[in-house]
Parts: sequence; C-alpha cells; structure tokens
Amino acid sequence: VSMAEQRALRHQVTLVELVDRVLNKGVVLAGDITLSVANVDLVYVGLRVVLASVGTLEQRREQISAGGASR
Amino acid sequence: VIHLYGVVHELEELPAIGGLDDAPLESRTIDGLEVVVSRVESEVPNVPEEAVLRHAEVVEELLARCAAVLPAQLGRAFADEAELVQAVSGKAAELERGLTRVRGCVEFGLRVLSGEPSDSAQRPESGRDYMQLKLAEAAQRDRVADEFHEPLSRVSRASARFGGASADLLAAAYLVPEGKVAAFRDQVARLERAHPELGVVCTGPWPPYTFAGQGEGSE
Repeated sequence: VSMAEQRALRHQVTLVELVDRVLNKGVVLAGDITLSVANVDLVYVGLRVVLASVGTLEQRREQISAGGASR
Repeated sequence: VIHLYGVVHELEELPAIGGLDDAPLESRTIDGLEVVVSRVESEVPNVPEEAVLRHAEVVEELLARCAAVLPAQLGRAFADEAELVQAVSGKAAELERGLTRVRGCVEFGLRVLSGEPSDSAQRPESGRDYMQLKLAEAAQRDRVADEFHEPLSRVSRASARFGGASADLLAAAYLVPEGKVAAFRDQVARLERAHPELGVVCTGPWPPYTFAGQGEGSE
C-alpha cells in the first residue's frame, strides 16, 4: 500500500469514527434523535460507502502482500 | 431552540468559533454544572454533514479548554431554557459522575481489519468440515482481537468493544489518561508490527464521546 493510499484509508476511517461518535455516542439529555429520517439516511448511506471503500483498500493490500500480483 | 454541545468542568473560556449555523456559543450554569449551548433557528440542522462537523469542532475546542467534558450527542434540541434546565437538573448526579470518570482522559478509537479469509488452499469436503473450518476461523479471529484488546485495556481507565462492520476483527474505544497516551501508542505500534497482515487504524485523541453516556464502557 502506498503512502497516499494509507493516508486515504486513515482519513476515511477517521471520518467514519467521527460521524459515529457525534451521532451515536455522547450523552443524551433531550431524548430521542429527531434529525429528519431523510437526513440521517443520507449520513448512513455515506458511511456505508466509506466502509466499503475501506474494505476495498484492505483487499488490495492483501493481494499485494500475497505476491504482488494484480488482477 | 437550544442545541447542547457538552457539559464541562472548569471551562477557561468559550471557544472563539461559531456553533451550528454560526450562532454564538453561550454557557449556562445549572445545578453547579456548566453547559455549552447555542441557539438554532430550527429543530433540524439544514446540512447534516456540516452540522456534524461543526458540533465535533466545538466539542474538540471545549476539550482543549476545560478540565473535563462530556460531549453531547447531536440529536434533538431543547425547546427552551426551561426544558434545558429540567433535563440537566434531572441528571445532575449522573453527569457529575461522568465528568469525574473522563477527567484527565482522552479517547482513542481502534479498528483492526482483516482481509478475506484465504480458504482456497483447503476446500472443505463436507458440511461438517465446512462448519469446523468456520468455527476455527472464528476462534482465531477472537484470539487476535483479544491479543489487541487486552494490553490496550490495561493502559486505559475504561474500554468498550463494538459489533462493528463485519470486516472488522475488532472495533473498540479506549479511555486513556493523558499520562498514558504515549504508552497506549507504543502498544498500538507494537501490535501493528506484530501483525503486518492486518489493517490497524488507531484514531484520536477524541473527546470522550463513547464514555460520556450513563455507565457505558465502564468495563
């Protein structure tokens, strides 16, 4: 994995961790979330895309370390 | 309506940035607890991603300026001052305990990712073999996850493991005293070197979002 890819991976995971913390963790004093369903979905769709691309990066890393052969 | 960023101990000064929708930050003292809030026009922030980032930025600024912060979840706003006061008073004791728990600590996130299992070498011949292979794989994954989690928990005041995405061997958060941050990072670096086959991503230091809730992660 190149330095640039490693940085991209770190950046993506950091973003996932940030959104997860702000929306799902933290102390709740006002009761249930009422961010509109559409908006919350948007964020979660974004998260899945990010997670999927993290997986892709990792698979490529596996392939490279398994003998440098690319498909 | 009123948006809450967090509950703090010994805040030196309000961060010099705007809150959601660029509204000025304000602080209130309720039952001896200081809270940082801003007024927002509407219940739902206009741009969620932007609101998420701004909320996170404010909380991070608070972390740098106080002795302890309990980050609030970005969610429902308070209708008015009375509702805010009631909510904080009603949980004052719990919030005090939370502030004591996280005082002097920061949070780190850890994700350990494995690639696809390389099962091409030995194709299972029967359903039973297949089950055994899967069980062995699961046990191996658990072992590796523990190998990461145990030493990191030892240098932490509290820790929490999450279900995480299916590709994750381990998704966890650690509440680390500031004096042990270097030791924590050393452990992560050591584990990363010991497992070059895995993707190890450590994020932080974060404000203690994961350990702000009631009794959460107090393993």
